[in-house]
Amino acid sequence: MLDIIWSVVAQETQTRLIIDVALWFGLLVIVAMGLNFQYGNAGVPNFGCAVQVIVGGFTVSAITTRLAFFIVQQAGVVLKPYDSDYDWVYNNFWNVNVGSNPVIKANPLLGISLLLFSLAVALVLGAVMGWLISVPAIRLKSTYLMITLITMADASQIFGKNIPSIAGGTLGMFIPNVFEWYPGDRGVITAVITLAIGLISFLIFRTMLNSPYGRLMRAIRENEITVSSVGKNVVGIRRNILMFASGITALSGVLIAFYYSYVNQDLYQRAFWTYWPWLMLMVGGPGNNAGTFLGSALVIFMRRVIIQYKWYFDQVFFFPVAYFEDILLGTLLILTLIFRPNGLIPEKLLYIPGVNYAKLVREEVKVDWRRAPKARGKESKFQFRRKKEETA
Amino acid sequence: MSIIPTIWMSAIVYASEITILSIGFTLTYLTAKIPNFAHGTYAGIGIYIAFTINKIYKINPYVSFPISFILGGLASVLIYFLVINVLTKLGGGSVVLTIATLAIQIFMTAAIYIYAYYLNRLFSTYTMGFMLKEADFQIGGYQGIFPVALLIVIVTVVVLHLLLTKTNTGIAMRATAEDPELSQVIGVNTNSIQVFSWFLTGGLACLAGAMIPMWFMSFPSSGAAIITSIMAGSLLGGLDNIYGAIVGGFGVGLSEILITTFLTENISVKIGEYRPLIPMMFLIAVLLLEPRGLNGVWERIKVKRQKRRGS
Repeated sequence: MLDIIWSVVAQETQTRLIIDVALWFGLLVIVAMGLNFQYGNAGVPNFGCAVQVIVGGFTVSAITTRLAFFIVQQAGVVLKPYDSDYDWVYNNFWNVNVGSNPVIKANPLLGISLLLFSLAVALVLGAVMGWLISVPAIRLKSTYLMITLITMADASQIFGKNIPSIAGGTLGMFIPNVFEWYPGDRGVITAVITLAIGLISFLIFRTMLNSPYGRLMRAIRENEITVSSVGKNVVGIRRNILMFASGITALSGVLIAFYYSYVNQDLYQRAFWTYWPWLMLMVGGPGNNAGTFLGSALVIFMRRVIIQYKWYFDQVFFFPVAYFEDILLGTLLILTLIFRPNGLIPEKLLYIPGVNYAKLVREEVKVDWRRAPKARGKESKFQFRRKKEETA
Repeated sequence: MSIIPTIWMSAIVYASEITILSIGFTLTYLTAKIPNFAHGTYAGIGIYIAFTINKIYKINPYVSFPISFILGGLASVLIYFLVINVLTKLGGGSVVLTIATLAIQIFMTAAIYIYAYYLNRLFSTYTMGFMLKEADFQIGGYQGIFPVALLIVIVTVVVLHLLLTKTNTGIAMRATAEDPELSQVIGVNTNSIQVFSWFLTGGLACLAGAMIPMWFMSFPSSGAAIITSIMAGSLLGGLDNIYGAIVGGFGVGLSEILITTFLTENISVKIGEYRPLIPMMFLIAVLLLEPRGLNGVWERIKVKRQKRRGS
């Protein structure tokens, strides 16, 4: 009897692990790809990606929830008041679970449109936030940019904590479950949608990289001065890249909010949403989407396994497992930087239609290496003189 | 009871700590050309050295100041040899090195937490959220740390000034900061200068950290949390001038506490929560108005004066 129960539990655990890994892979690969787009290809070190993720979360809690309440009220359901800060937080649970969710259950279209609405708004607001945080330091050296961006994440968390009308302050708030109509596990459908959005953003990033704009980005990364000297607006391009990637990163915040059906500023900590994606980027190899995928998969799998077997680690350690994870994060990042500076999959040359790199290199070699030195050797006076000196 | 209001004393103690930390941050930026995000975390080491000395071994917490200076310096040198030097030799750019300092910050903060949990388990006392105020001595109604902190800042500034202008090591340090390759040509051992400067910055940061629990509530993460104030102070000073860092650090530290107190007393109690935004405001204002900070303003004034004299 016990065996049967145990096998069911084990199977349940395993499926949960798979769903968990898929979901978190989808969520973090979006952030990591955005980072790869910014740092790996354009050399913009964005250490503020937690800000954009938080913007996604706050979009859902502050805008989508109000819209959902409004629509539900129009449909004839009587909700408790939610205008003042106090009512907003304390009637929130009733309004969401008793008021709004049954309506969404009856109308799947409402849920889907709410999801699409929040994704679209987050895309725009994320881009706006990318522009805002780039204002102080985008013109300056990249170290200044890092200094400002890394402080911004804390600032956004402070605002979330102290303005209850955004995300319920320290208590957090529930948000309408847009997958209420789905009969099965919410984790599964969120994972599927997250992976789909990850795939779409991968295709967008890939297309942009292989376009002339991608080559421009790489040129900026390699040498800003050269690019600006041929008449390109380097600051503008860097800002555009930051804005675009910020918009995509904000999608991740929306999806995690819908997965939990709950938003709290504490869920969007800088450590989690900035440092782990950076580790994924560095492990996989910056400047390479395949590398980002591999790095994300490895790191997520490691983290999820640690969390799944927390009970075991808790017996071994005398401190919470979170600090062990932090130690692991720091060590892995430094070891990657030292032993694998290019990541597990090194960067490849960009695909340019009509250009065959192998042929190009072969031709180059023919000209330079086989013929040129011989010709120079015969005619050069300098070499002749040096030979004379050697013999003398 | 006392002539100086408590809030001013608190502001001055805090400003002294931020000043020492900002000087170290600027010194690292000058010699290694990277913003060291782990700089605040050295202060965390100092906090726990003070805790261990006072709470576990029951010794006067002032004993921990020299000990934390030496241990912090050694930790910093260890980091230099294990990570920074290796990465520099491999040819890592400033961004890669900065990422490495972030990794060190994460690692060290977690290590301090683990140490706190270890002490908690070993001695079964509280190890987080402590103050050492009651172990401090009293001078005429004042807490001893208030004059001591001011004294430490003044001594640090004077000694650093003498070191940088009068001794050969200091002059070599300045030369290395200006142009490492050229100073190598004239026979400066840049490697040993780097080691010395990392020792100095780590030691100073750890010393400032040991001062924190004498007045403020301390956690393992409070060292990492004040990195914003440190960077703001350093940036306000210009990021490439130690004298600027002294002014900037003291200004940011003072204004952080005084502005918060002023606003909470006059407008609303809720504003106290927004205290971490003040150094960020400084940071953004400096970057928008004059990225070279007070140093840049000073240089502009100098140029204007010279023009006037010339005409």
